[in-house]
Amino acid sequence: MAIACFTLPALIIFVTFVFIPIIQVFIYSFTKWNGISGAVFTGLANYMRLFTDNLFYTSNKNMIIFAVIVTVYQMILATIFALAVSNTKIKARKFFRVAYFIPVVLSVTVVCQLWLSIFNTESGLFNQILKSMGIDFRQNWLSDRYKSIYVIAFVNAWQWMGYQFALICAGIKSISTDYYEAAQIDGATTVVAHRKITIPLLAETYKSCLVIAITGGIKAFTEMFIMTKGGPGTSTYTLAYMMYSAAFRSKEYGYGLASASILVLECLMAIVVINALFKKSEADVVKTRKFRIRKEKTA
Amino acid sequence: MKKRLLSVLLAATMAASLMAGCGSQTTTTTDTSAAGVAETESTKESGDKVKLSIYAQYADDDTRIPYDYAVEQLAKEYPNVELELIVQSQDDGMTLSTLAASNNLPDIFQAGTEIINSLRETNQVMILNDVAKETGFEDKVYDSCKELLYADDGNIYAFPYAGQEYVLWYYNKAIFKACGLEVPKTYEELLKCIEVFNSSGITPMSMFGQEGWVTTAMYDAIATRYTAGGIKDLDEGKAQITDQAYVDAANTMSQLVNAGMFSADVSNTNYDQASALFLERGAAMFLNGQWYIEDATKALGEDVGWMYYPAPDEASYEAGKTVFAGGGSTSGYAVNPDSENAELAAEVAAFISEKYCEAKVLYRSNPLVAVDTGVTAETELTPMMQELSDVIPTITSTTKFTWGLTNSIFNTGIMDQTKFLLSTQYTADEFVEEMDSVIKRMND
Repeated sequence: MAIACFTLPALIIFVTFVFIPIIQVFIYSFTKWNGISGAVFTGLANYMRLFTDNLFYTSNKNMIIFAVIVTVYQMILATIFALAVSNTKIKARKFFRVAYFIPVVLSVTVVCQLWLSIFNTESGLFNQILKSMGIDFRQNWLSDRYKSIYVIAFVNAWQWMGYQFALICAGIKSISTDYYEAAQIDGATTVVAHRKITIPLLAETYKSCLVIAITGGIKAFTEMFIMTKGGPGTSTYTLAYMMYSAAFRSKEYGYGLASASILVLECLMAIVVINALFKKSEADVVKTRKFRIRKEKTA
Repeated sequence: MKKRLLSVLLAATMAASLMAGCGSQTTTTTDTSAAGVAETESTKESGDKVKLSIYAQYADDDTRIPYDYAVEQLAKEYPNVELELIVQSQDDGMTLSTLAASNNLPDIFQAGTEIINSLRETNQVMILNDVAKETGFEDKVYDSCKELLYADDGNIYAFPYAGQEYVLWYYNKAIFKACGLEVPKTYEELLKCIEVFNSSGITPMSMFGQEGWVTTAMYDAIATRYTAGGIKDLDEGKAQITDQAYVDAANTMSQLVNAGMFSADVSNTNYDQASALFLERGAAMFLNGQWYIEDATKALGEDVGWMYYPAPDEASYEAGKTVFAGGGSTSGYAVNPDSENAELAAEVAAFISEKYCEAKVLYRSNPLVAVDTGVTAETELTPMMQELSDVIPTITSTTKFTWGLTNSIFNTGIMDQTKFLLSTQYTADEFVEEMDSVIKRMND
């Protein structure tokens, strides 16, 4: 009874504000609806159209580019920085710990405006630096049909790297120093110790980081909305942007919700794949721990 | 027992949440009657204070000045009416759609053709025929703007204030003179001008390519040189994008883009940046509506003018002088039929619309309004407005601004695709192909 009392409020909120709306998204994705008048059931028509729409493929391609860039950038840099600040020999560790996290607390709009100025073709800092260095590589960073998605993904990755950094830092802190002392006695270098101890024991943290980075990439919207409005033309559309455009601009709510349904399914699929990938490494960690405990007991 | 209780609670929560969005929706189309207007007369005289919510534009001088003036006049004429302003969001009508879907529309709201058409389907917009007659609003509407008053079914759903509006191709006379150039009549001459401006470090045309309506207006202005119907005919299904005229227009626009007519960052340029570049004499040309005349004249004085849109050859240039891109739309102040004070709201909407026009004439030097208010501007018309006013009687055909388009699918498609056409990496063929699929979808 007590368990029910404690979980019920959260359960009610979850069901009301998450579960039911998601179900409604799936239901309305089978209709033709302009958001005001009544919805008309059209079966699979929205999905059939979606799979023949060039924009759907552009959006998915952008989503993959976005997710890959965000994941690679954040995971690699966050790991390097976290390992660096966890090293007691590094000076000003506290400063770096705060500095890497600052972009996370900034508003997305502020960050986008900042990078908009930096990437401006005519007066942007980036092109000006290249020019002052005598490098002839002036680019239309955000007006280029093929490059703009990479630039936008970079902005997102830059801002949220600090979040992954904080998670990995917390993960590193939770690892017992006994392992490192043992490794030191065995003659392992710092790099080897991190490779053999830190990274394998951070598997669970990496799993969370990966889920956050990939699903964040799949549902990307804000940066393109602020920086390029999906443009040039439709070249930086993602599924989330496609949903917005179909529902709120074209007033095709049914079609927009069909792309939202695919978005939800893609997020779920990504989580399932990540879980499957990490299942093996989790089993290995558990096996190692059990082996060590047995060894300690016999010693 | 515990499980059963939990199940009942969960089921009740689900049922309640499912019902939440199903509020009762009154679906009666209210046609105001004489009795209704008589009732408002008594409200006008009684001491009861009536609060009406109004959803209106209130963003810049062009919207703030007329609104404030209308409210000031309302306080004199209707001392018992108090307006509660909800500032209109620049969100493609999303707020208004959400308010309509949740049956929370304000008493009076500014709406465009597209949203009015949607609200007509659900009877969420009042038919204002009787109020328009009884308040005299119908008679005051200029003959040239009568088409903006009546919807396709002959009813009045909104009191318009904006008259016929036009896309103007502004240019800086001083820059043209300094570069030794004449106003281009043909695309060939325009291409020559672009070359000269670029070599002189001047942006040939400043454009706020971040906004889809102006890129559409650019394409429309070019299309009208090939076919008078422009995008209006596409919206109404009278033409196909694959028709030679529209293909030629796409090719011309693409050619101008590739020749360097716009800045490299045009697709990310907003209105403030583009306007500043033109007003600070960094660009030779600028595309905007006629409402920009006041600001342009204030900043550039006699150096600024507007030109007829260039055409493929001189003959079509001359013939095209009576054809303008832009035009009016059946939009304005509409009324919520489910409002507690619907009749009074309708009367106030008519009053606000009229006063809005009055303020535009008096304080914005803009005689292009829908209603003849009988007032004259406090100052003389600017030379550009005078020139336009002289030309207006000769205009034989207009098209539409994006807010006057009737189909939201076409509207979104043409805005996205014309924005894309500003990229040197996008071809006219791709534009035609994509627009063709948009038009097929809109006809489904």
